[in-house]
Amino acid sequence: MTDANTSAIACQDLWQVFGHSGEKGAEKALTDALARSGNDADAAAKILRDAGYVPAVQDANFDVKEGELFVIMGLSGSGKSTLIRCISQLLDGTGGQIRIHGEDIMTASKQRLIELRRKKLGMVFQHFGLFPHMTVLDNVAYPLRVQGVSRKERLKKAAEVIELVGLEGREERYPRELSGGQRQRVGIARSLVADCEVWFLDEPFSALDPLIRRQLQDEFLEIQAKLKTTIVFITHDINEALKLADRIAIMRDGKIVQIGTPTDIVLNPVDDYVREFSKDVAKGQHARVASVMHQGTEGVGPDDPGLRTDMTLDAALAHCMELYEPVPVRDKEGNLVGMVNPADLAAALQVEEA
Amino acid sequence: MSAITDAPVTRSRLTIGTQAALITLLVGAICLALEPVAPWLVKWPAAWVLPATDWVGTILTSVLTTMKPVARGFSALMAYPMDWANFVLNGTPWPLVIGIVTAVGWYLGGLPMATLGFLGLSFVLASGYWSESMNTLALVAVSVPLALIVGGAIGVLANEVPRMKNALQAVLDIMQTVPTFAYLTPLLLLFGFGPVVGLIASAIYAAPPMARNVLLGLERVESEVKEAAVMAGGTRLQQLFQVEIPSASTQIMVGVNQCLMAALSMVIIAAVIGGFNDIGWEVLLTMRKAQFGEALIAGMVIVVFAMVIDRMSGALATERKRYDTRVVWGLLGFAVIFTVAFWTRLPAPSDLTLLDPVSDALDNGLTDFTRANGASLDAFKNNSMFYVLLPLRIGLDQAVLPFTWGFTWTSNMSTGFFLTGAAIGAVLAWRGHVTRGVMVLIGFGMLETGVSNLPWPFVLTGAAALGWVAGGPRLAVLSAGLLSTILVSGLWDRALLSLYLSGAAVFACAIVGGLIGLMSAISPLAWKIVRPICDMLQTIPLFVFLIPVLMVFQIGEFSAFLAICAYAIVPMIRYTRHGLVNTPEEMMEAAIASGATQFQIMRDIKAPYAAPTILLGLNQTILYAFAMLVIAALIGTTGLGQSIYLALGKADIGLGISAGAAMAILALVADRLVQGFAEERRKALGL
Repeated sequence: MTDANTSAIACQDLWQVFGHSGEKGAEKALTDALARSGNDADAAAKILRDAGYVPAVQDANFDVKEGELFVIMGLSGSGKSTLIRCISQLLDGTGGQIRIHGEDIMTASKQRLIELRRKKLGMVFQHFGLFPHMTVLDNVAYPLRVQGVSRKERLKKAAEVIELVGLEGREERYPRELSGGQRQRVGIARSLVADCEVWFLDEPFSALDPLIRRQLQDEFLEIQAKLKTTIVFITHDINEALKLADRIAIMRDGKIVQIGTPTDIVLNPVDDYVREFSKDVAKGQHARVASVMHQGTEGVGPDDPGLRTDMTLDAALAHCMELYEPVPVRDKEGNLVGMVNPADLAAALQVEEA
Repeated sequence: MSAITDAPVTRSRLTIGTQAALITLLVGAICLALEPVAPWLVKWPAAWVLPATDWVGTILTSVLTTMKPVARGFSALMAYPMDWANFVLNGTPWPLVIGIVTAVGWYLGGLPMATLGFLGLSFVLASGYWSESMNTLALVAVSVPLALIVGGAIGVLANEVPRMKNALQAVLDIMQTVPTFAYLTPLLLLFGFGPVVGLIASAIYAAPPMARNVLLGLERVESEVKEAAVMAGGTRLQQLFQVEIPSASTQIMVGVNQCLMAALSMVIIAAVIGGFNDIGWEVLLTMRKAQFGEALIAGMVIVVFAMVIDRMSGALATERKRYDTRVVWGLLGFAVIFTVAFWTRLPAPSDLTLLDPVSDALDNGLTDFTRANGASLDAFKNNSMFYVLLPLRIGLDQAVLPFTWGFTWTSNMSTGFFLTGAAIGAVLAWRGHVTRGVMVLIGFGMLETGVSNLPWPFVLTGAAALGWVAGGPRLAVLSAGLLSTILVSGLWDRALLSLYLSGAAVFACAIVGGLIGLMSAISPLAWKIVRPICDMLQTIPLFVFLIPVLMVFQIGEFSAFLAICAYAIVPMIRYTRHGLVNTPEEMMEAAIASGATQFQIMRDIKAPYAAPTILLGLNQTILYAFAMLVIAALIGTTGLGQSIYLALGKADIGLGISAGAAMAILALVADRLVQGFAEERRKALGL
């Protein structure tokens, strides 16, 4: 099933509509609204809103590749938590399709969903969702316990994961005896214990203070480098998104407004909403030379400050502070691939001041 | 870390729970073994009983006699507002009263509430109990303001003087746990026969809920709000009356609602002393004459009042929305015009006999029903008595007779029974549940002996052991100490009888109520059906529960058992459901994301998380059962409730107060033990 061509997760025309008349009513309202608007998502959303429904996710379309770290970002109320709950099927999804490794999970049976969650999916929650009556060890081992793994075996596996998140020595503690950062490590360990292939993280670090957050982000990247799972990560923090993501989807009022790499988002925001997000970002630290590079080497100057495609703009600018003529750019292997005008570097950084 | 290195050590040692269970088992076994040589170990000898009841009687009588003049003065004083209230309510033409209630109903809750008020009072009118009902309302109308003032003052005082808070809360506990019948006796002596006794009693009974809610509301005012009032430069009084009390108003209105309901309930109970022609008296009278149709109609009148008062004051507390005043004036105007227009032709309410055919039909229907189903009803009753209640009361060794069970209990059977218990206990212990194993053995022992024949050292040790586990040494000493006062005062046998009946009822409620609660938590449809029934059962005043059970099962312990269950089951249902439904969303999601099935979520997550809430429900059920036990004495129970009721009839203050105190002690000990367990569970969950 899992070949390189199938995406790990594929969302097509996904809708989640909340309303006063239960799931069936919302489904019917959505079908009606789509029919009346001629399948125009915005118009359908408006019809639904006017009828008193809340279209929390509207027509979401995206693919997540195998091993990709896909971040969904947006302000609170933008529907990002709803979206991840649709994908993990904690919510049913009102319309559309979600495929995980090619398997349509919207139509999967309850039994199959339980199976999937046991073997394939893992999830971390914003407020940790730890079971207060279980020790750290029992919390982490719980996903194995529901599968009926023998006590000895599951505790052994749990101990390994606890070590991975750096909580060894605290196995017999209860969640209430841990700090926030330690609790989230438990949450992470629990979601990893069953060797998941797709990992959902719903604002995992938002409830933590900034220092701990940064530390956990770094550890998270280390874990990801080791495990290479496919990840859907929710956050409202643009810096976190830029730091972690392979690609970012930005949501507003239930709609995905832009999907792109961190550089895309920072340098080519599609609208003011996205621009507003990246305003606080030190752009030079996120955009790469490749984004302002020209193909060809016509008119390149005599100086070669040694720019590479994957350098950040800040670093590149530091290399050619005193240069005015275009300079050559090389790729990782050292091949000449293009040139960049130092003035463009500076201009790129100043876009948002304008 | 230490947690890990400690683990093996703790495992090899016995936990406190296991130690406590083992000690209790040991004491029980010794008592049983030594019974032939030292019978005093099982039964507290009469010679050792202190004449505490007499002392209490003598002391109280002399104290009360000195206070009597003051009380009689107060009684005379209270006669004025009572007369006024009576005059106003009875003198107002009934169309006006109905109009006013309907208008108030509209204002508070719109059409449904107005309909409730109108239909409710129309029913009262049609029943022919109008003037009796107005007499009852007059009592409530005077006692409630009294209770509100006293309760409110206690609440504010407890909030203002933190040092007094614990003492005041203890007083509130006592006011609520001493059975209502018990303080009627001294009140009779103080105030003499008459409605004032009912008035005072209901004020005493209704003040604590008000006080508790006022205190709770004031304590819950956000500290920033309080600080803002301080920084605005308000004096303490300004802070209290302009900021804190208004902020707490919702909670305080909940207190008013509870206060009203308690007052109504108590006013009706107070009818047993008689002398006042109110609706409670009517129920009692018709019940004694076995006119169940009429008793049921009169009971329905009480229920109607309870519903109207509860829903309206409830809306006052929780609903912010108020309805159009023009409709209010319209309704009032219509009532006035109606009254004036038909002034000469208004029938006197007491002449109305519209519902007499209904009550006759009910009577006949009931007679037919019992005649037709007499055999199966008797079988149900007798089976429950002979195979469940009686063995629990006097033990298998006495309850198993050839007459009922078909064989005689032999000592060999006893041995076999104990061995079975020991075997099950041993298996449990071997599988790591030592405490559970010991508890099973203790349970077998209790079944064999019967609750009313339990050796006193065993009961005291058991209570202390439970106290130790639930709340440490202080609670252990308190439990054992309080219970021993019952022992030495000679009320022990009756206390055990009360313990047996309420224990059996609580057990039944816990199982059945727990299951219903579980069902309601799983299926919203079930809750839709169960919820209005629960609401209904909780609004009905205690007294009314006796009517239907009496109708079907006649006087006796089984009827009392059913009445207690019907009343006490509600909190168990409500708390169980509430606990199970209110698992935090994220914990649920985490369990689902872990791949747990519905059953696994219920067993591993919801049930443990709900444990403290369910324990609180059990606690309420226990208190409700004790409260109902005393009322149920009216239809034939043995034990403390009966003593209290007898004391009331003989105006025996010593017996009334001692038995009342014993009852309160039982309730208090049970309350503290269960609260202790709930608290321990909450702590374990980090709540």
